[in-house]
Amino acid sequence: MSIGTLAPPTVTVHEGAARGAERSRTWRKLARNPAAIVGALILLTVIGAAVFAPYVAPQDPARQSLIRRFSPPVWVPGGSTAYLLGTDQVGRDILSRIIHGARISLIVGIAAVLVSLAVGVTLGLLSGFLQGRVDTMIMTVVDVTLSFPQLLLALAFVAALGPSLTTIIVVLGLTGWERYTRVVRAEVLALREKDFVEAARAMGASPTRLLLRHLLPNTFSSIIVMSTLQVAQAILQEAALSFLGVGTGSAYPTWGQMIALGRDFVSVAWWLPTFPGLAILLTVLAINLVGDRLRDALDPRVG
Amino acid sequence: MLIPLVRRVVRLVVVLAGVSLVTFAILHVSGDPVSLMMPEAPEADRVALRQAMGFNEALPVQFARFLANTARGNFGNSFFHREPALPLVLDRMPTTLLLTVLAMGLSLAIALPIGILSAVRRNSVFDHGATVAVFLGTSMPVFWTGIMLILLFAVQLRLLPVSGWESWAALVLPTLTLATFSTPLLLRIVRSSMLEVINLDYVRTARAKGVSEWIVIWHHALVNAALPLVTVAGLQFGLLLGGAVITETVFAVPGVGRLIVGAIRQLDFPIVQAGVFLLALIVVLVNFTVDLLYIYLNPQIRVR
Amino acid sequence: MKRWVLVTAALAIAALAAAPPAVHAQAKDTLVVALVSHPPTLDPHMHFERVGILVNINMFDSLIHRNTKLEFEPSLATSWKALSDTQWEFKLRKGVRFHNGATMTPEDVKYSFDRVIDQTKKSPQYGNIRAIKEVRVVNPETVHIITDKPFPLLLERLVFFPIVPKKHIEAVGDQAFGTTSPVGTGPWKFVEWKRDQLIRLESFDQHWRGKPAFKHLVIRAVPEIATQVAEVKTGGVDIIRNVSADIVPELKIHPQAYISSTPILRVHFIELDMRSAPFDKKAVRQAANYAVDKQTIIQKLMAGLGKQAATTVQPLAFGFDPEVKPYPYDPKKAKELLAQAGYPNGVDITLHSAFIEYRPVFEALSQMLTEAGIRTTPKMWDPGPAWNKFFQHEGKATNGYYGSWGNYSVFDADAVLHPLYHTEPGGWIGKWYTRVEGLDKLIDAGRSSVDQPKRKRTYSQIQQMIREEAPAIFLWTQYDTLAISKKVQYAARGDEWLWLFDAKPATR
Repeated sequence: MSIGTLAPPTVTVHEGAARGAERSRTWRKLARNPAAIVGALILLTVIGAAVFAPYVAPQDPARQSLIRRFSPPVWVPGGSTAYLLGTDQVGRDILSRIIHGARISLIVGIAAVLVSLAVGVTLGLLSGFLQGRVDTMIMTVVDVTLSFPQLLLALAFVAALGPSLTTIIVVLGLTGWERYTRVVRAEVLALREKDFVEAARAMGASPTRLLLRHLLPNTFSSIIVMSTLQVAQAILQEAALSFLGVGTGSAYPTWGQMIALGRDFVSVAWWLPTFPGLAILLTVLAINLVGDRLRDALDPRVG
Repeated sequence: MLIPLVRRVVRLVVVLAGVSLVTFAILHVSGDPVSLMMPEAPEADRVALRQAMGFNEALPVQFARFLANTARGNFGNSFFHREPALPLVLDRMPTTLLLTVLAMGLSLAIALPIGILSAVRRNSVFDHGATVAVFLGTSMPVFWTGIMLILLFAVQLRLLPVSGWESWAALVLPTLTLATFSTPLLLRIVRSSMLEVINLDYVRTARAKGVSEWIVIWHHALVNAALPLVTVAGLQFGLLLGGAVITETVFAVPGVGRLIVGAIRQLDFPIVQAGVFLLALIVVLVNFTVDLLYIYLNPQIRVR
Repeated sequence: MKRWVLVTAALAIAALAAAPPAVHAQAKDTLVVALVSHPPTLDPHMHFERVGILVNINMFDSLIHRNTKLEFEPSLATSWKALSDTQWEFKLRKGVRFHNGATMTPEDVKYSFDRVIDQTKKSPQYGNIRAIKEVRVVNPETVHIITDKPFPLLLERLVFFPIVPKKHIEAVGDQAFGTTSPVGTGPWKFVEWKRDQLIRLESFDQHWRGKPAFKHLVIRAVPEIATQVAEVKTGGVDIIRNVSADIVPELKIHPQAYISSTPILRVHFIELDMRSAPFDKKAVRQAANYAVDKQTIIQKLMAGLGKQAATTVQPLAFGFDPEVKPYPYDPKKAKELLAQAGYPNGVDITLHSAFIEYRPVFEALSQMLTEAGIRTTPKMWDPGPAWNKFFQHEGKATNGYYGSWGNYSVFDADAVLHPLYHTEPGGWIGKWYTRVEGLDKLIDAGRSSVDQPKRKRTYSQIQQMIREEAPAIFLWTQYDTLAISKKVQYAARGDEWLWLFDAKPATR
């Protein structure tokens, strides 16, 4: 199966000024799209919450208050302005937990993607440059990973290694790296064919130079788009793992964990799982919208 | 075409061996199944059992034995059920497959018309609206979608049974839940494939000839989308199996996913190995078929 | 294009092989119960799971039964007496039939015990009856059970020791017996088992107690709690168990369902690691007990469905001494004791728990400990291999963990004291944590005699000792809470059994 991912942009090499013009065209295409703008705004809010969590959150997310358990949101009779979105089963403020949850959810998502990137790009480079048996081996590993029911792989890993933030991040990272490998490898193979590579080598340019100057810019757009979308995927996968019971076990939950923990109470305290669910929904939606239009914008074929 | 075929078959076998290796490795690192099987027994009993089950031998030896047995279709007896693991897994496989296939079918049924329409009316309210609506499905964790659907359709509206797999009605909610997971990707593909052909000359020619616009659109969209869809189908299948695991748990569907999740918790090696192997086999076979289909459908590649 | 359709059609037809059967109407004579999972086998001797016990008791009888007041009642044995410290005589009921029509004989009784005592069969229940040396058939109505030393728990263990048909099992084999033809003497007989989906049973018309009120019994496996609750609300399922205290208020007033709750043996505690600081000091352990406001947790987080416990010996168990009083809530005293022990500025600890249903409770009591100066980091685990490895296998030094113990429904103090506090291999926690002087000897004394008053005195002594030494933060005993459809009349039992013979359609 060598079709690669979903129609990455056609490989063309941009030079200097042409690149600049491309970029401003990209931004203009992006700006014309209201969905992408809304998405971007949402993302900025989420990132802001994540960064400034301790200052923005109205309460200490770990503070319990048994008198105040299951307080409903402020607009429901019985709610209070101190706990805008209500409290959970031990009286902790949901809004504050969601704000702090932004931080940890994004950390998990982004860290997982970085792991994927590191593994995937490295293997792709090795595969494309060294070719031969190394290439075959790496592509076989890719096939094995893809054939493995990914959620079960993640579950088995975490069951084996125990619940901790690091384990979850590594496990999520190891279930998404193949796309980067494919793209980078395809790019390397394509580049090898180009004349200017031969010419450059004849002139004495080192392979690393070639890499940095020509390879990365071409794969850049694909990688950006894939990474963005993968952050969303990682957040959702983490929620799935929490549902199956293998959360991080820490006191600061991710949104996924909040839903997983709150779902049993949905009939008595709907706000427990619903608001973190909304948080995930909006964030993932925003990421998808922006990522999707980003792809459209960066793809010279469309539009 | 024989050599590429043989090569692919070899690849298939190697991949399956790789899957088995990874499963084996993870399971053996996970811990000691014997202490889970007999948690209160005195240590002496446990030592005896470990010896009897061959856990004291070197890992490569154990793995070699495992591979040999797998080739013969023998995965051993489940530690907990005390019956052969393979039949236990095979028993539940059709259920999971049915769920997955139905979900894919539903996804296609939604993605095709909406994707085509979105492309035809590009950047319209419909296009944006459809994108957002469909993306909503994929922006929520699958289990949450499932629970919400239960609350709405089963508890509030009393239209459908809450859970189980005993009637056609019971199939609806799990299928719908799983379909929300895979529809957006298919929609994107249909839409972008459609966009590629919509302005091509032969389309305009057909229109000029007076062929109904919609027939033209449908025909060409499908033809152009077929290839990428087929390609992605293999990938999607693997992802859907993952989503099926969760759906099965929420809706109490007696499928393979649920069985394997439980087996991982209990370190029931034979079941995990048999289950993962079979799932991987199916994914690999689906991809294999897809590959063949792709070669067949795309004349340019045949030359390779 | 056409080929596409063909391929899809082929796939679909293949998958349809798994098509579900026709709709089964929810008939009035059918009782539907949902458990979180099915047992791995229906063979009553080859598993040790609670869900297995719940299914087995409806299909198989044992020698002794417990009534709703938890007193012993004749079942397959009509009377029994101790002939000596190590020999008991049981008179068997006449004319009892198995589901396949065969009559029960004392050979069946002997065979049932033999297959568990026989170590080659690897029954996980072997440990429960290890003390039984031999079962002897005396005459067609009498068996003797001989133990290798005085075994005071014998009668308790016999309440769940199903009697199985010898000739039938010898004919079909152990495996078939546990999967496709489990035959017993119980009120319901086996119809079919769809793995992970449902176990279908039908009333056994020749059952010696008479017929149960429902003709059909379906036991479903529904792993997700939210789904179980939704099923009870919509009438899809009649009985669910382990209902969380937080959902109780809502279900109590629900038009379709009601709650039935009763105290059970299961006792909760935080076992403390006495091998290392700070819990190597008695004062700190006692401080921890004073620091937790158990009553508030019971009232606020458990909907009042719990009873504070003085030690880990439960009120319902034989040997319980009501004179031993639980630790009161006294955070000031806790701080004093901490200072006495050398921690005037408090101390930091980590506690672990794999008890997911009680996570809020765990977090709340960690908070209380923190407020009293024992700054606690609560770490929650998923009860799987990682937890098992960490806790059981490696026995790492941890400060403590949240545990619970149900005695396997044995209403005797030994059934909690020995596994928890005895240091011999096989003791669960004693193996790693507890080092109370003289406790081992006392426990041994308690279990090696059948003189009940003497045992009672020993257990009083043990409870006083444990209360003083505080090897654990003693918490409470919990309730078993069922949610039941209003169409059905049934009450929760103190031994956590779902004895569905007692279930009746509700009279309107």
